[in-house]
Amino acid sequence: MKEIKQQMIDRILKAFPDAKNTDYDGNRLDIAIKKESVPALLMHAKEEMGFRHLSHIAYIDWIEQGEFEIVYILWSPSDKLKLFIRTRIDRENPVMDNIDMIWRQANTYQREMREMLGIEFPGMVAPDEFILEDWDDIPPFRKDFNTLEYVNRTFWHRPGREDAQDVRETITKRSGEEIPDFAKKYSR
Amino acid sequence: MSFFDLEGTLKPLTALKQFGKKPHTLKDIPWKKREAADRYRGLHYNNLDECIGCGNCSSICQNAAIDMIHIDGIEGKKGDSGLRPRVDNGRCCWCALCVEVCPTGSLSLTKDYLYVTDDPDTFLWTPGLSNPDGAERRSFVSDKDHSLNDFRRVPMPELEGKERVKSFAEVVLGYNEQQAREEAQRCISCGICTEVCPDHMHIPEYINAIAKGNDADAVRIIYDNNPLPEMCGKVCTRRCEDVCAIATRGEPVAIRWLKRYATETAQTVDMIQDIVNPEIREPNGKTVGIIGAGPSGLTAAYYLALRGYDVTIYEANAKAGGATMYGIPKYRLPVESLQKQVDYIRSIGVKIHFNTKVGKDISFKEIYDKYDVVFMGVGFPDAWPLGIEGDDAKGSMQAFRYLYMINSGEKVDVGDKVVVVGGGNVAIDAARVARRFGADVTILYRRRVEDMPADWEEIEGAEEEGVHIIPQGIPIKIHKDEKGRVKAIEYLKAEMVADEKGGRPRPVPIEGSNTILEATAVMAAIGQMGDYSFLGKEFEEKIKIERGRFVVNEKQQTTDPKVFAGGDAVNRTADAISAIADGFRAVKAIDEMLMGKK
Repeated sequence: MKEIKQQMIDRILKAFPDAKNTDYDGNRLDIAIKKESVPALLMHAKEEMGFRHLSHIAYIDWIEQGEFEIVYILWSPSDKLKLFIRTRIDRENPVMDNIDMIWRQANTYQREMREMLGIEFPGMVAPDEFILEDWDDIPPFRKDFNTLEYVNRTFWHRPGREDAQDVRETITKRSGEEIPDFAKKYSR
Repeated sequence: MSFFDLEGTLKPLTALKQFGKKPHTLKDIPWKKREAADRYRGLHYNNLDECIGCGNCSSICQNAAIDMIHIDGIEGKKGDSGLRPRVDNGRCCWCALCVEVCPTGSLSLTKDYLYVTDDPDTFLWTPGLSNPDGAERRSFVSDKDHSLNDFRRVPMPELEGKERVKSFAEVVLGYNEQQAREEAQRCISCGICTEVCPDHMHIPEYINAIAKGNDADAVRIIYDNNPLPEMCGKVCTRRCEDVCAIATRGEPVAIRWLKRYATETAQTVDMIQDIVNPEIREPNGKTVGIIGAGPSGLTAAYYLALRGYDVTIYEANAKAGGATMYGIPKYRLPVESLQKQVDYIRSIGVKIHFNTKVGKDISFKEIYDKYDVVFMGVGFPDAWPLGIEGDDAKGSMQAFRYLYMINSGEKVDVGDKVVVVGGGNVAIDAARVARRFGADVTILYRRRVEDMPADWEEIEGAEEEGVHIIPQGIPIKIHKDEKGRVKAIEYLKAEMVADEKGGRPRPVPIEGSNTILEATAVMAAIGQMGDYSFLGKEFEEKIKIERGRFVVNEKQQTTDPKVFAGGDAVNRTADAISAIADGFRAVKAIDEMLMGKK
């Protein structure tokens, strides 16, 4: 299998000079590539290299770097190999090519990404809403979405929870510790 | 699609071809109940005994579903807030983040997903209490290797053992900025540690300040109730780390080293002043006399001076710091570091008279009459002798005296074979100091190594430096040579016998197991004691002393209302942070008494 793996990697690197390979054990190939080359590489992998199946599209919010990462995970039934194709797009202007003409099921993943991260796929035909109804906040899988704040704003608290206590307060009360006001912003 | 879809109506009937065949998957149904998946995330279960009530589950919950509540029968104690989580199952989404962040691993999710009740409002669920039998149904459990808590401490850079014994250079090198931030981020800010700190320092707050990159705020928070934090950052007995929530399954957050990191960012007195920039109140005309410039005296002096009192300290030695100056070896606490902190305390207006021994250079009565209030932080200036045959030999000494002399810059000849008797920090300190002067050092201790009251890092450090430890050895005699010098020490081996009253195991000497160990010097490190002769007759009656310590109330006040006391001469824990706590408590009481404040 190692040989086939290496041949595959060589073929991709030869056809796509900007691709970068990361070595993994087992049956996993991992290629990072710039976003413009993604559709071409997906087509190439599907038609020429036997990766007939799109298993999954994963997405990651790299908030510190100002980027979203999209990972297309393909499967080759004949060679029993997994191919990860990853690309980064700008977080401020998140637009990615629509690939649902290559695999129909990509449409569903892209709808999810559009709703959860706010990535646009020009040309994609799909209903506006996916899971969330009447959503009026920033896309909820973005790391700057404050889930707790949203939850407290949206859902009322059940009665009977008034006896909740704060751990830090309980301990200071018992020990007689006096936390100065300027330090309190660092308390949990 | 037409209104009557013939294909859609007939297609399902093709399933009938399977009729009567043996199913491939669901065997034994409906006779056998189906189990949920191995890592199924059902109703919570909490082991109420393992849980320490840190509240990490409650603070991580993105649905605000977890409350920390008091449960009858579970009382808070040191290392346990006494609170336990309760889940609002109407809000829970079973993401199991609470399990992933649980430091103790007590919280888990079970395979149970059915709960039937006739009250539709029953959503509040106290894991462990609502399902005491949930332990057997646990499925999604916290795994130490994949927990979101980081159980491994950032290692502290240190000098190599062989390098250390060549000099008195500081052994611990301290975290750099990156290491400190990384270590600080391990803290979960529960604050359980603050209760065991005698001084109740604001630990989660200053660690959080370091984690967020604001060292100056950390220093300010630290100085709120500890004026000698750099000393504590280097040598504190750090009981806080014993109860650290992370320590239940991993290495505790390096609270001491983080304090050290923060305080060392202020490298000079000026820098401390700039950062702390304390508010010093107008002089209020009241005066306080303090005896002893040890940690308790300095603490009382610093905070009283900030509150506008005129403070004067009388110190018998040439330098301030008390036992931290004369008892702790310089490779643990360099003299410059301590000096800087003392200079800072003096810079805000505390006066110190050095080389002034109360009872000799000035009488206690004079101080008593001169000031509105007297605070005594006199410590334990004497050490217990071994009290065995041959104890009077030349070369038989107290480890405490040995450290005092070395730290005063005197030369002490101990020969090349030193035996230290004891298992506390003083014993280890004396051993490691003697090792630095080139002697072969053996520590003789009555109990096992794990029973030693000394800091485990100090014990490890001593072993790395080549100090030999003989546990379970009880000295019975010191052999002398013709000139009356120490020649050898004779000891009995001991076996550990379980204490019937439930105390720690006692060492019992084994008859006839006498062993003789050659030695050129024997140091006793079996405890210190006070010397209260300076009080004079009149005050010895007024100020009550019991079992070698001043009797004080919860405000550090002695039986003479005008006299307060703190430090080793008062508390049983006998460490610097307890002394600082005593000083701080006394400040509040003195302020209350003199200014009539509540």
